[in-house]
Amino acid sequence: MTKYIPTIGIECHVQLCTKTKLFSEVDNDARGKEPNSCVSPVDYGLPGMLPRLNQEAIPFAIRAGLALNSQINLESRFDRKHYYYPDLPKGYQITQLFHPIIGEGYVELPDGTKVRVEHAHLEEDAGKSTHESAYSLIDLNRAGTPLIEIVSMPDIHSAAHARDYTKELWRVMTYAGVTFGDLYNGNMRFDVNISIAPEGSSELGTKTEIKNLNSFRSVERVVEYEIKRQTKLLEKGETVIQETRGWNDATGETTGQRSKEGAADYRYMPEPDIPPLRLSADDVEQARQNLPKMPMWYRQQFAEILPTDLIEVLLDYPQLMRKLAELEDSSAIKKVANLFSSVLLAEENTSLLNDELPSKTQLLDLVAMNTKNELSSTGTKEVFLKFFDPEMHYKDTHTIAKELGVVQENDLGALEAIVDAVLAKPETQQAQADYKAGQEKVLGFLVGQVMKESKGKANPSSVQEILRKKLQ
Amino acid sequence: MEVNQETIGHLAKLSNFALSKEQSLALEGDLRSIIGYISQLDELDTDGIEPTYQVFEMENIWRPDEIRPQEADREQLLALTREVRDYQIKVPKVL
Repeated sequence: MTKYIPTIGIECHVQLCTKTKLFSEVDNDARGKEPNSCVSPVDYGLPGMLPRLNQEAIPFAIRAGLALNSQINLESRFDRKHYYYPDLPKGYQITQLFHPIIGEGYVELPDGTKVRVEHAHLEEDAGKSTHESAYSLIDLNRAGTPLIEIVSMPDIHSAAHARDYTKELWRVMTYAGVTFGDLYNGNMRFDVNISIAPEGSSELGTKTEIKNLNSFRSVERVVEYEIKRQTKLLEKGETVIQETRGWNDATGETTGQRSKEGAADYRYMPEPDIPPLRLSADDVEQARQNLPKMPMWYRQQFAEILPTDLIEVLLDYPQLMRKLAELEDSSAIKKVANLFSSVLLAEENTSLLNDELPSKTQLLDLVAMNTKNELSSTGTKEVFLKFFDPEMHYKDTHTIAKELGVVQENDLGALEAIVDAVLAKPETQQAQADYKAGQEKVLGFLVGQVMKESKGKANPSSVQEILRKKLQ
Repeated sequence: MEVNQETIGHLAKLSNFALSKEQSLALEGDLRSIIGYISQLDELDTDGIEPTYQVFEMENIWRPDEIRPQEADREQLLALTREVRDYQIKVPKVL
């Protein structure tokens, strides 16, 4: 049987988190706002309106480009792409076809595979349509939101790599700080192009495009589904039609939507309303200096300290990675990384991720107390949680530990005094005699008595050691 | 470039126009003469010449990223549309 090799290219739309839209001076953050409340005459495409470019979109685009290891094109221009659809009232989208701001680059996946980026360009988003059974409803809050569209080369050949690529793109863009990266709210959306061809064939097969996916998992499922569907067609001797297909997350199937318009049908033309951009090498250098550390940097930084799977889990939370890097000391990084994953990422605590993280000093003190056995592992977790308590978070680690009463007594002198007091009690005499007679088990009872006397603050292993010595 | 009824039909579809037979025929004649006139430019050798994007030689025209009150508000803008439901613009089913 013929083996088919899939070839996949992915286009990704990233909504930039600027304050205002790309060409109008209205609020760009419409999360939780009423429909059509963040709109202007420019977004409605009213006659005589002049779109004006948002200055801040430029450094955002440069940063996104640098995060993609891309060349930044110092000269770029805008073009009009015409199509009639109610979510775009002016009848065309302002985009960059001929001279995009971001040139060739690549994204490196966790396993080291490189997926090349063909280019990326700035454009405006369209409004949001909700389709009812008899009509559609349009909300223009999103119309005009700045987007970076990242176009990959057809370098992907499996569903797993398609998922890894989209996930890594999401990480890279959120680490670069150019987007809120909220997938649920459509901050990043993926279009997948996929074709299959017999192994060894020099020509690619006919591709289909599946648009508007908003999760890594659905990208992976779409690719798995399309590989199967197209393979079945070819095995039956039928052909794949070049078309746009829609994905239904509930049924797990794609269905044909429309045959694709040719590029000429969009009647691209230079955008006369927006003069071209000419950047200086300095603009790019400045953005480079402001570019936060990327996921790959953290992978390399922690490779010797943390297990790979823990790094990958924590990488989903840039703030946690940055905090770990702040600690510098590798044993502290190890302990705090485990606290992050066992406490913060536990189902019941994930809301804490929105809070301010403990300071470097608080964390280093916590690690030190734990290392010196002043805190048990349970005590360490309790104190760690209190770092997020609005009443406690400003206090230092020692104060919190004392207030919680979880500091273990390790002072041998003080411990000895407690042990002596317990051994002097009439109710422990029988146990002492039994122990001396060879009954090891009663030591547990005596340790328990000492713990009780110390109100739980004694370090049990030290207590045991002292008891053994005294009862020799 | 050849202009015929098929060309007009295709353009009308892309532009969401419903044309009558007379309109379509009239447009065919108009468009053919416009394209014919413009086609005189084909005599020129334009190889390697950058298209003219604009004639004002302006560049880097932008504005600060600041939210400003708009001259028209939500109600005024929605009033321009044919039908509104729950503050959304109601249109014929598109998908």
